[in-house]
Amino acid sequence: MKSLIVEGLGKRYRVPTPQATNPTETWRDRLRNFFVIPLARDLMGGRDIWALKDMSFEVERGTVLGVIGSNGAGKTTLLKILAKVIQPTEGRVMGHGRVVSLLELGAGFDDEASARENVFMNAAINGIPRSVALERMHDIIEFAEMEEFVDTPVQFYSSGMYLRLAFSVAINMEPSILLADEILAVGDMAFQERCLQRVRELARDKGLTVLFVSHDMEAVSRICDRVMWVKNGALHRIGDPEDVVTEYQNATWEMLTATEKPDEKGSSHAGRYGEILEVKLLSSDGREIGSPPRSEDIYVRIRFRTYRAKSRARCAFDLFSKGVLVLRSAQPEMVSVGPDQIYEAIARIPANLLSETNYTISVGVTLIRGEGEEHALVVNKALAFMVYREDAGDPSATLHRTGLIDPRLEWSMEMKPYAIRA
Amino acid sequence: MPSAPEAALPADAVRDLWVIEPRQYGVVERIRELWHYRYLWWYFASLSVEGMYRRTKLGWLWLIFRVSAPVGLNSLVFGGLLGVESNGPPYFLFFVCGSATWILFERSLLIVTRSLERNRKLITKVYFPRLILPMSAVAPGLLYLSILLITMIGANIYFRYHNGVWYIRLRPELLVSAAAVVMALVFTISVGLWTSVLQARYRDMRQGIRYFMPFWMYFTPVIYPVTTVPEQWRWLLSFNPMAGIVEAFKWGTLGIGHVTVVGLITSFAMLMLTLVGGIWFFNREEAASIDKLG
Repeated sequence: MKSLIVEGLGKRYRVPTPQATNPTETWRDRLRNFFVIPLARDLMGGRDIWALKDMSFEVERGTVLGVIGSNGAGKTTLLKILAKVIQPTEGRVMGHGRVVSLLELGAGFDDEASARENVFMNAAINGIPRSVALERMHDIIEFAEMEEFVDTPVQFYSSGMYLRLAFSVAINMEPSILLADEILAVGDMAFQERCLQRVRELARDKGLTVLFVSHDMEAVSRICDRVMWVKNGALHRIGDPEDVVTEYQNATWEMLTATEKPDEKGSSHAGRYGEILEVKLLSSDGREIGSPPRSEDIYVRIRFRTYRAKSRARCAFDLFSKGVLVLRSAQPEMVSVGPDQIYEAIARIPANLLSETNYTISVGVTLIRGEGEEHALVVNKALAFMVYREDAGDPSATLHRTGLIDPRLEWSMEMKPYAIRA
Repeated sequence: MPSAPEAALPADAVRDLWVIEPRQYGVVERIRELWHYRYLWWYFASLSVEGMYRRTKLGWLWLIFRVSAPVGLNSLVFGGLLGVESNGPPYFLFFVCGSATWILFERSLLIVTRSLERNRKLITKVYFPRLILPMSAVAPGLLYLSILLITMIGANIYFRYHNGVWYIRLRPELLVSAAAVVMALVFTISVGLWTSVLQARYRDMRQGIRYFMPFWMYFTPVIYPVTTVPEQWRWLLSFNPMAGIVEAFKWGTLGIGHVTVVGLITSFAMLMLTLVGGIWFFNREEAASIDKLG
């Protein structure tokens, strides 16, 4: 039995054409820009952008459908249309039963109201009378684990508490379809696990259909029955979670590391708390280089992003040559990182350390949340390069004669006044 | 392949079936929807009342101060110092009576205008009929109205003992006053349907209304009786629905005021025009506004 049928869905946004700023503008231009242009721009419209285009799919009742895709691919637009928050430009959606949405954090809460009042409001939004909401109040508060904070305005809640309440309210509204956008982004591990378990349970026992948007590929492949990959506003692929997730991860990685082909085995560049975006080798003046000279410092730059959670991070890399681990280096300390940011870690390999040979670098970023929940992002063979000596003609000629490293050691020599026994 | 919903779903599920399409919803659908979400009315109404005095120490007392201070001051200045005509009853009674529907309109309109913008966060995350927002935002205005009505009755009782005259008419004509209140409400919402959508897009709206309101008040016979307006200019007032409403309320309550059939019909026509236009505009622009809010 179908729970949701989406046919040729599309959403167009009109984006105002940006006006060029002119440094030599006169006061008259300025006046015109201030008064006339904003209004005229609104009336004349601008560029059209299709956030969603010709999307069709069907979801069986009781299915947990994962929705994955890079930021701006149209996942949230799709969910917002299903939640009736925005109207589609074309196509249609058919479904049955109550749709409850968890769009972003704390779907539709009034910040100044208490948890209790927000439960009543959400009940009212879902067409549930106050008396029924009152009956369920206990279950909702209990699942959210916030007995002491029932009457505190939700603006004083931590993001974790906020989400706990939002999730608890949502599943207690007896939804037939639950739209969950990034619900794993905050909250502690234990609660996230309980959310996932509850979602699975409701899907199995009550026939709840779930659209589960997440960047957490591990969770997606674990709890989803099917996965849909949204790309550039279109449905790119839909099918078995393992297949789609693997393909998605490979594609994302390929896109980001244009030339080098990393070893996929044992790699997990994206995880629950973040993902490694790229690994590059730089020269001392910041250029990307393929094969660095021996006589100059080399920089390994690891660029990674965090998801919606605060955590602490430590970057590390392993340097291999001829299948042997030459050295392992890690940042000396864990560094606090904020949610949803891009970070760059740079390690300097001093000049005249490496020898003239081939190296590979594997990169790891360890993210730790709260009380030691570790998550490691690893990219095996993220870089492969050859170091050369500028003054020595063809570097390959000397390859076989080098060691794994060739640091410039301190040498000294002097004449000693000992007699030579003949 | 487009399939009929009935074919894809078993019969018992057809009851709960819903369809999302890129189209505007009809009036019947809208009304049914408003009923389905009836539990939200009370919530938003009490929210906008609380919003008037949230985080204040004096709490709901502010509601009383906010109407009593201007009414008291204005009647002192216009009635006492300037000696504006009141056509019979004491000026204070005349002024409170004239202010009743005007303040309902003026104060509500500002809140109604901001209703969509204020609940931006909610609108962009969950669905409910947006129409509930401007409609329930008249709640504080209704409270002001009841405060003024209580003041009016109090003043009437005072003057009964002081002057020996009972001014409020306890006659069927009082129904005209009730009708005037309903008309004021409908007119507030009608104008609000325009302004709330525009405010969501251009924040200039609220500034504009604040600026424009005093002019509108002087164009409405609140502080002066219509009879002080020269005969040849009175027809102008009938283009202002509020003028008709305020006069009708005064006529129904105190038996003074200048109510003509032609004036009433024009007022009513203006009101209906704003209402129908407002519903059309709100319906049409709602979706687009939310795209911009989001």
